[in-house]
Amino acid sequence: MATADIILTPTVSIPEHLVGEVQSKLAYVDEAIVSAAVAETGDQITLHLSQPEAAERQAELSEKVQRVVTTMVRGAFKPKVQVLEDHLDRRVPNRADPMPELLANGDISQEANGIYSLGPLLTRLINYFESQFVDLADSFKALPYRFPTLIPARYLERVNYFRAFPHSLTFATHLREDLDAIDHFAQHAVCDEHGLNTPPESFAKIQALLSPAVCYHLYFALADKPLPNGQLAATAVGNCFRYEAINLNSLERLWNFTMREVIFVGSKDYVLENRETARQRMQTIFEKIGLAYRVESANDPFFIGEFRKQAAFQSAFQLKFEIRASLPFKQSTLAVGSYNYHQDFFGRNLNISLPDGSPAHTGCVAFGLERIAFAFLAQFGLDPTGWPASVRGALNA
Amino acid sequence: MNEKQADGLEHRVPVLLAEAFQVPRAEITPGLAFGDLPQWDSMGHMELMMILEEQFGIEISTETIAELVSVSSIIQYLKEHDHGDS
Repeated sequence: MATADIILTPTVSIPEHLVGEVQSKLAYVDEAIVSAAVAETGDQITLHLSQPEAAERQAELSEKVQRVVTTMVRGAFKPKVQVLEDHLDRRVPNRADPMPELLANGDISQEANGIYSLGPLLTRLINYFESQFVDLADSFKALPYRFPTLIPARYLERVNYFRAFPHSLTFATHLREDLDAIDHFAQHAVCDEHGLNTPPESFAKIQALLSPAVCYHLYFALADKPLPNGQLAATAVGNCFRYEAINLNSLERLWNFTMREVIFVGSKDYVLENRETARQRMQTIFEKIGLAYRVESANDPFFIGEFRKQAAFQSAFQLKFEIRASLPFKQSTLAVGSYNYHQDFFGRNLNISLPDGSPAHTGCVAFGLERIAFAFLAQFGLDPTGWPASVRGALNA
Repeated sequence: MNEKQADGLEHRVPVLLAEAFQVPRAEITPGLAFGDLPQWDSMGHMELMMILEEQFGIEISTETIAELVSVSSIIQYLKEHDHGDS
């Protein structure tokens, strides 16, 4: 297939701290873009297209890219990166990318972009990390919850999710309750390389989405009433879905992934103290494992319209810290978990009140299970004889 | 900063907030703080920071964003940084 590159000079230079953020958003600019790269210097963007495009179409793509850049960059506040822990210099035995071997061994199988099945090796490893996170939850006497994979559209609307993260939504639908539409689907449904050929009018109006996070379900369960006892620690594990277009890549960036969360609801002091205690307890657990990682301030991947303000706000108020594990094979890091504080955003928007009538504060500690297992394999390799004794022993038990 | 400039801030800052949050000037008391108005949420706060930067020709650092969380703290910051006559 013929390909084509478009090289653009941004109308405003992209500062170093925004290069990665802008590049990740270019994935959503146009379906013709197969890959996009922003130069480290921030003054050049290369778009790799699926096929050569006419000048008019190239101009359209260019305009959309410039819109992304100016919206995210103009007037941007520069975040101050705060590092709470730095253990990236821990010596780890492996430097190879585990993905080729995992695929070759049948330890994982790719069903589609961002969708993988995991075999016994990964499953056991994830179970091990899960046990560590459940121990953490137990240390707070966190109550266990189970949440659905679907989340009602009206829930996400109520917490402004559609404005903040429209690009990563995954919608759930079904055929309309219409005999003709169902019959037609049964007779004519065919998949090609682009997906199912069903006419959009066959589908019912969207009432639910695949959930993007675990803790939201708890906040909605607590909505519109006083918080019993004025504080709550809870824990749950769940499937989460965040569509990342061409950024979906190996086990690093999945469309469908699993998160274990420990969630705190109560006063500001209660939430912040527990978030910090959780970080300190995890530091001990990661030290035992020997994981090379760093904990640093971060922001959520807001879409371009809200990115500039929301990201700066998170940074200014130190709302989010990511656990970034080393990936030696690419001399980079991967976010495998985060320590989050939402202030009273959910308490206020969902009317969760404390005994004094004020809105509850919330926070959560979240771990991406596939990611932490992947980072572990990237640092220690696939051969369990090279693994730390604590992990190997647990897997053999 | 002279007394007249400082007095100007006591008047000017509440007017800016009233316009930014689209509420009557009388609602902007010195003790009003982040979260006291539905409009003064995270997005509203960042809008306000951008308005202050534009109106006073200043650059507000990320650390300072978290400190300017009340009418009085904003006025105090502008006084200390001599921005009363911009």
